Amino acid sequence: MTKIFTHDDLIRYVYEETTTEENRLIEKSLAVDSALLEQCQELHRIKEQLDGSMMSPSEKTINTILEYSKGFNLHPVKD
Amino acid sequence: MNSQKTKLDDSQLVSQYINGNEVAFEQLVIRHKSRIFTTIYMIVKDHYVAEDLMQEVFIKSIRTLKSGRYNEEGKFLPWILRIAHNLAIDKFRKNKRYPTIVMDDGNSVFETLEFAEGSFEDAQMKKDMHKSLRKLIQELPDAQKEVLIMRHFMDMSFKEISEQTGVSINTALGRMRYALINLRKKMQQYNIAYDQNFYS
Repeated sequence: MTKIFTHDDLIRYVYEETTTEENRLIEKSLAVDSALLEQCQELHRIKEQLDGSMMSPSEKTINTILEYSKGFNLHPVKD
Repeated sequence: MNSQKTKLDDSQLVSQYINGNEVAFEQLVIRHKSRIFTTIYMIVKDHYVAEDLMQEVFIKSIRTLKSGRYNEEGKFLPWILRIAHNLAIDKFRKNKRYPTIVMDDGNSVFETLEFAEGSFEDAQMKKDMHKSLRKLIQELPDAQKEVLIMRHFMDMSFKEISEQTGVSINTALGRMRYALINLRKKMQQYNIAYDQNFYS
């Protein structure tokens, strides 16, 4: 008999917050429960979309940060 | 075997940086720039303000690191994301308004084009979809948006979110659940290419 997993369990699973034992049970359920599998795939997909929505600052900003760091020396560099 | 450069974790890079290795710092910046910048942007909703705050965050962190005030027991990314989050919240509260000028036209000037694969049209579609998704995130109720930003972009655990926001883990999880459900619904509603492949 397989355990019933909630959407919240799947969210924790997708965000890798479940324990090894929970992972084992969830994966066992995913193998036999197509609705659960669909929910899980959907969560993975939106997670990927969110990853893709990340933005990058401009090169100018990065260069300003790096230059600031190089010019900022409160204490001398150790050997 | 991987090179030493790729194997260094954040705390090793921080140690090297504190000892004067600027290349180590550059690696930290490159490694985490998108996550930090996106966290800021999601709060202030203005590309130009986010660029300024990104600099402020790193200036503050550089001063802390180089003055020896950095607590090595903590982890670098959560630490700098907390700085970013706090500065962005302060800025947002000071402005007390939703900026009307967002990224639509300004983005192409600043964003790095990283679409190595596919046609120009594919790349443009992907870019438009991600832009739409960012707008939809802004439309979420504040409590849901807060948890989504903390969990997804700031990489905080639900336990950490619960501690920081003063709600139970189940409430944080529930807010995340509604945030994801709402995003999915809105993407379907606006016909954004969310699950074209999935449902085909």
